[in-house]
Amino acid sequence: MVGGSYAAVPLYRRFCQATGYGGTIQRRESVEEKIARHAKDGTVTEREIAVQFNADVADGMPWKFTPTQREVRVKPGESALAFYTAENRSSTPITGVSTYNVTPMKAAVYFNKIQCFCFEEQRLLPGEQIDMPVFFYIDPEFETDSRMDDINNIILSYTFFKFSED
Amino acid sequence: MSAGGAFGGNRGLRPVPPEKGVFPLDHLHQCDLEKKDYLNCLKSSGHQSEKCRQFSKKYLECRMEKNLMARQDMSELGFRKETETNGETSEEKNSKRIEV
Repeated sequence: MVGGSYAAVPLYRRFCQATGYGGTIQRRESVEEKIARHAKDGTVTEREIAVQFNADVADGMPWKFTPTQREVRVKPGESALAFYTAENRSSTPITGVSTYNVTPMKAAVYFNKIQCFCFEEQRLLPGEQIDMPVFFYIDPEFETDSRMDDINNIILSYTFFKFSED
Repeated sequence: MSAGGAFGGNRGLRPVPPEKGVFPLDHLHQCDLEKKDYLNCLKSSGHQSEKCRQFSKKYLECRMEKNLMARQDMSELGFRKETETNGETSEEKNSKRIEV
């Protein structure tokens, strides 16, 4: 199948979640649906994962951008909140846009962002400092995947790029 | 299968947009207090999310109040109702009756 980069991700997830390569294509379950399903099933998870944070800015992007907390320790199936802090250190308003990355790569499929600040332009006035939340959820199925047995840390990295300067 | 792109090339999985979209920025710092309470809780609880759930819930409720987040029932976001006997909603009371 040929598709855009976003179209490829649902295919990858379905493949990895072993719904059957030749099987029927199902709509990907949303995080809220997962939360409801696991609440109903009374899913209990035990492993604590340390989610740690990286923050970068691209060259020429005059923002200070840092994680607000060092880490958040969370069990799969618990929705959790984390913050980044960004400050426009220049003398002009700057609009940035961010993208993120999750490592180790094999765990990324279980890391769900419910809501965050990325993928859309964010404009900061000169000198403005702002806190940027990320609300995320690690799929409980992480715990039953033996490939994840050696993973106790997940790193969430955001990078801000300059979108425009006005 | 044209797997090169699908399997992400050299960066692994392609980034996926957040499920519920983007949080508007809190330019007026309206929920700063709730945010600080949450972060202070993390610092004093070994950074365990579970121990600070009531603060993260308060933060998100603040956002909803100030139109910085779409309103919805907190239980849908994974904040289960506390098992407190004096805080029962009438719904819970009714369902208990039905079970008996």
